[in-house]
Parts: sequence; C-alpha cells; structure tokens
Amino acid sequence: MATGQVWRSHSLDLALVLLGVVSLVLVFVVVALTVDSGNGPLWALLLVNAVAVEYLVVGLLGWRRRPHNRLGPIIVVGAIAILLSALGNAATPSLVAVGIVFATLPLGMIVHLLLAFPSGRLQTRSSVVIVVGAYVVCLLLQAPLYLFAADGPVPGDPLAIADRPDLVGIGQTVQSLCGALVMVATTVVLVGRLREATPRQRRVLAPLDAYGIVAILCVPVSSIMRSTMNLDANLITILQIVLLAGVPLAFTWSIQRGGFAPAGEIDALAVRLGAEAAAGSSVDLALAQTLGDPSLQVIYAVADGRPVDGAGRPFDIENPGPRRLAAAVHIGPRPVAWIVYDATLIADPGYVESAGQVAALALERERLTAELMVRSRELEQSRARIIETGDDERRRIAQDLHDGLQSQLVLLALRAGLLTEVDGASPEVVRRATQLRRELDTAAAELRRLVHGLMPALLVERGLYAATEDLVALTPLPTDLMLEGSDAGLPDTVKSAAYFVVAEGLANALKHSGAGRMSVGLNRFNGTLRIEISDNGIGGAVAMGGAGLRGLADRIDGLGGRLLIDSPPAQGTRLMAEVPCAR
Amino acid sequence: MRAVIAEDQALLREGLVLVVESAGFEIAGTADSGTSLLEITRTEKPDLVVTDIRMPPTFTDEGLVAALEIRRTQPSTAVLVLSQFVQRRYALELVRQRGGGVGYLLKQRISDIGTFRDDLKRICAGGTVLDPEVVARFMDPTDSGRAGLERLTPRQRDVLGLMAAGRSNASIARELVITEKAVVHHASRIYDVLGLPPSADDHRRVLAVIQYLTNSD
Repeated sequence: MATGQVWRSHSLDLALVLLGVVSLVLVFVVVALTVDSGNGPLWALLLVNAVAVEYLVVGLLGWRRRPHNRLGPIIVVGAIAILLSALGNAATPSLVAVGIVFATLPLGMIVHLLLAFPSGRLQTRSSVVIVVGAYVVCLLLQAPLYLFAADGPVPGDPLAIADRPDLVGIGQTVQSLCGALVMVATTVVLVGRLREATPRQRRVLAPLDAYGIVAILCVPVSSIMRSTMNLDANLITILQIVLLAGVPLAFTWSIQRGGFAPAGEIDALAVRLGAEAAAGSSVDLALAQTLGDPSLQVIYAVADGRPVDGAGRPFDIENPGPRRLAAAVHIGPRPVAWIVYDATLIADPGYVESAGQVAALALERERLTAELMVRSRELEQSRARIIETGDDERRRIAQDLHDGLQSQLVLLALRAGLLTEVDGASPEVVRRATQLRRELDTAAAELRRLVHGLMPALLVERGLYAATEDLVALTPLPTDLMLEGSDAGLPDTVKSAAYFVVAEGLANALKHSGAGRMSVGLNRFNGTLRIEISDNGIGGAVAMGGAGLRGLADRIDGLGGRLLIDSPPAQGTRLMAEVPCAR
Repeated sequence: MRAVIAEDQALLREGLVLVVESAGFEIAGTADSGTSLLEITRTEKPDLVVTDIRMPPTFTDEGLVAALEIRRTQPSTAVLVLSQFVQRRYALELVRQRGGGVGYLLKQRISDIGTFRDDLKRICAGGTVLDPEVVARFMDPTDSGRAGLERLTPRQRDVLGLMAAGRSNASIARELVITEKAVVHHASRIYDVLGLPPSADDHRRVLAVIQYLTNSD
C-alpha cells in the first residue's frame, strides 16, 4: 500500500538539478584554485572536495525526498561551507581569507543537522540556543584570526585591521572553550533525546545521534591532542575529514530506518487527489505519502461530531497516542476530519494543516463514507440485538410454559385422577373424572408439541449436536449425518438458529424435493459454524422461496452469517449456512 | 419400601409425594437438585428414586445424570425418571445400563394413578417401564429401513410396542383384551420374524427389542 509513487512537482526537480550543477561547477573551481597552491598534500585537497560532493549529493537527495523538511537544504549549505573552507588552501590571499572566514562553519552545520533531525526543525528552546551558539562560535569568534593577524594563517591578509598576535591568541582560546561548551551541550541534548525516545523513534535516531556524539566529541579532543601530544597536523586533518565524511553516511543509514520517508508537495497533492478521485484511491495514502509519515491516520467527524476512523470505529481525538498530534481540517466552520501524525517526523503543524485544506473536499467525501460505515455498523449491532432479544424471548416463553402451564396441567390431571379414588365415588363420577383426565392429557400433549416447536427440550438440555441427531433420527428418509468439531459453549442464539435451519431444511426437502436420501452436516471450525443440508431430489428450489427460510436467512444474516441455496434443476438441493460463533 | 423424590417445583413435588405414598412407599426424603438427590440417595439408600430431569443449577439434564449415576453406583435402587418431554436418547441411556429396575415416563402419566402405581411396583420388582410416547418414537412406521417391521401384522406391532414398554405378557393380554396364550403366540412369531432371542426376563426382552429398533441401519 505504501509503495505508491510520491507525487512531486517537476519544477522542484529542475531547481535541484540546477543547484547541483552550479555546486559541482563550484567544486571544480575550488579544485582548480587550490590544486597547485602547494598548501598541504594533493590528496588532502582532493579529499576535502570529495567530502563536499558527498554532502551535496546526500543533501540534494534529502531535499528532493522531503521538500518541506529543512535537513536537505542544511546539508547542501554544509557542502558549500566545506567548499568555502577548502579555499583556505588556495594560493591567492583574498581566497585564503574567505577560507579562513568559513573554516569552522561545517562544524556548526553538523550541530544544526544533528539537533534538527529528523523533523528539520529545532523543537526545543535549548537546541535553538545551542545551534545559535554554534554559529556564533564558528563565524563571530573566528574573526580575531583574520582581523588581527596581518601575517598569520593568511599571508598578506587583506581583511586584517591590526596586527595583534595577543588578541589572536585570546580569540583562539575563547573560541576553543566556547566550541567545547557547544559540543558538550549538543552531546547532552542528543543523549537525553535518545533516552526519552520510543523504541520506534530510537530506531531512527540511533545511527545519526550516536555517530554525531562520537564525531563532535572528537573535534575538541583531537585539537587538545594536537597541542599537547604534538601529533602530526596532517594526521589530525585526515581524522577530521574522515569524521566529517561519516556524517552523511550516518544520516543515510537513519533514513533507511524509516525516519525520513519520502514526501511530496502540497501543490502536487491537489493534482493527485483530482486524478485519483475517480480511481477511488484512499486519501489517507495520498496524505501519508505527501507528508512523508507512513503512520499518518485520517479521523473523520461524523454527523454528531464524533471522531471515527475510516472503518467507522470510534477514535479518541484528545489522546491520539504518544508524540502524535491531530491537525483539524475544516470546511467553513465545520470540522470535517483530523489528520493524526507523528510529531517527531513532521515538525510544522501548519504544513499538515495546509495539506488538510487541499484535501478537504476529498476528505469530506471519505467522511461521508465513514459516516455510512458507522450507520451500517450500528444497524448491524441493533439487528443482532433484536435477533438475540427475540431468541431470548422464545427461550424464556418455552421455559415459562415448562415451569408453569405444563406443570399445572400435570397437577390438574392428577387431581382429576385422584377424584376417581375418592371413597364412595359413583361410577358416573369416576367415568367423568377419567374422561376429564384424558382430555387434560390431550391438552398437555398439544402443549408439548407447541413448546417443542418453540425451543426443543433436547436443544436446551443437551445442545445442538444431540438435538440435530434426534432430528435426523426422526426423519422418515435415510439421512446421513456428519458432526464435526464440538458444540460445547455455542452461543444460545447460534444454537437455536442452526437448529431451526436444519429443521426447516429437512422439512422443505421432505415436502418438495422428492428426494430418496438426504444429508446433514454441522461443522464448527475456527470460530465458524457451517451448516449444510442436501438432498438428491428434483432441485430447482426457488432461493428463499418459503417464508420460513426467508426468516431464517434474515436471522443468520443478523448474526453476521449468510445462508445460500444451490438448487440446479434435477441435481438436488443444497442449503448452506455459515455463522460466526466465537464469543 | 422407601422412596426418595427429586423435583424442583414444590407443588409437583407434593403431588408426587402424595401419589408415591399412596402406592405404599414411605418417603425417605425429597430433593430439588441433582446434587442433593445424589446426597440423600447415598445416605438413605432407598428402594426407589423418582426424579425430574431439568433441575437447578443448570436446568438442563442434571436429573438424568444423577439417575444414571445412581443406577451405576447403587444397583439395588430402582430409578424412575419423569420429564415434561421424553427423548429416545435418554431412554436408550437408561435402558442400556445393566439390569432392570428402571423407568422413564412423561410427568403427565402420574395422573393415571392406577397404572402409575403398577409401573412403580414393576420397576421396584426389577422390571423396565418406558413411556408409550417414547416407544412410539422407536416404532415410528415412517422411520424406514427397519427391515422386518412391515412384515408384522398390526396386532403384532401392538404387542411389540408393549414389549418395548416393558409390559409382561399378562399385562399385554389385559391391555389388548386377548388371552395370555395369544400374547405368547404373537411374541414367538415376532421373535421369528425379527430374529430376536426369546427371553423370559422382561428387561432383557425390552433391551433386545429396543436394540432391534435402534440398530436398524
């Protein structure tokens, strides 16, 4: 279901391709400017550019995947920052100055990326403060290095306003300390976030966050090692480039684990909904794919404003689940639906709401369907209740007659019988009393037949299979009986419905089919009771012809089952019913 | 002779007590459920138990279950099962257990006090009594495939039915207003036609007839 293609606008693709081409040209320019400057080994220069290309590719792909997520642009900016910092190796002093200005910007970008993942937004105040701090450290605190060093890292620095090596030293120390502070704060936030995450979220966060923690801790550590242990500067450079190169890889791995599902654009959503309206495709799917949240759910407001899901089941809109939010969609003042989404995946409620407004009319159509589902569900339930009530009533009347009238007739007949034993009773009295007793017996027999028709005693006392056995035994035609599964614990309504289906089926076959042989099968398996009555008679029975069968079909239907007749001419008749019977 | 009566409806229980007493039994106790019947029967060891089928707590077949249990554990106690409905399967369950001393009747039969007293005595004497309605179910002429029945004369079928109900030859003769000799003659003819083993024991005779009537397939 979620494999459908995501609809995107072609203009975005075009813009991204252009951006990619321009950036690649920039890469070549930087390579050309730095390749024969003699600053550092050639492979180190090429390596930095290769990492920039890696960022560029991952950033553009991320951007295309989720156009409304800021992570793609952040990574592309990172690629450009790496290119600019690579200019520090150029031969021309002005270019070197540019390189020095942006030398540490990639680190700030990484902090930003780590803290904004995966929604693209900084969702807590502390992460906003840290990211602002990171950019301040990278851009502002870098300034003393080029402002006050006339002949420092930049030979013949064109930006220098004074030659104050002391200020450069102080600036460097302040930058290192503040940088370390930012890194530690980032680590704390990332660790806390990992600990609080739900397992599903942690699955997504883990690769990038874990790698990020290691990488940003390595930066201050490697600087300290460089100054204290006097390690080779090239070694440190390689280490830092490799750490930098790992970030897009960790990001890609996280994406693979589902935190960054492809998303489309809202404009394209409108086109898609229009195109798919006729095809009857689900609005849920279109929204889930456009917003890039596979867990997205659409909840509809049915007539009385109750929220229900697509199948008509009630939904608690106040508590949509952990870290899930509900964005309401209105037509005029009236709420039509809610879009329930994962707040860790989609940061901007406004984005969801605009998608909802675009989809409002389609949602209204789905809402009507959901409303129908609710109605039909309610109808089904009320019908089942009516059948159950009718059935209970039957059983109660049968039991009342058994306990009441039947017992009274026994007692009355007994009193009539006792009259014949009274001392000195005349033969005439004895004759009349006996006559009365016999008439009462006849009445009792009549009543037995009536109660039996209402609810057979054996069905009450021994259950469906025993009662069916007796029914079959009393059938004046050879009848095969197959009982499979157990009838223990069958709901009373199913029990009696099934019994009367068999009774009616056998009676119909006897009356109309001219059959010489019949068979009855009851099979209870996996929460379903199957009933089959067949004969080898003339067939051609009109489906649901008899009023009796019609009523039984309704009853079976009301219990969530179905009843079918297969009766081709001259090929016998098969009456089949299936009733769900799991309580 | 001592009897225990189990019936959950008080008025009917009183009526039964009255009739059973009038047949010369001393009432050793009454019960209103299957479990209390078993308890009283265990302690009182009566000669006769008269029990209803549908009783508390489940109002299904606890009386019958208790009756079968009594017949199994206390063979010297005769058992009469009464019910508002008679079922072939219950009759078979009761008859198939060893020995006679068993009866199965519609409740309605207690009003024919004279016949009912005789039935009680026959049951206590080790005989078998089945309700005519249940015998009729076994003898249902539409229940085809019962090879041999159609070869009997209507009079022989009457005799067969009374034999199935557990009547003695004398009783059958009285019922059909013929001589006992004629009954013996009919019976031996029936044995011949159906291939039943002749038997002097009333219960065995019932068993053979019932078995013949149910094992027709």
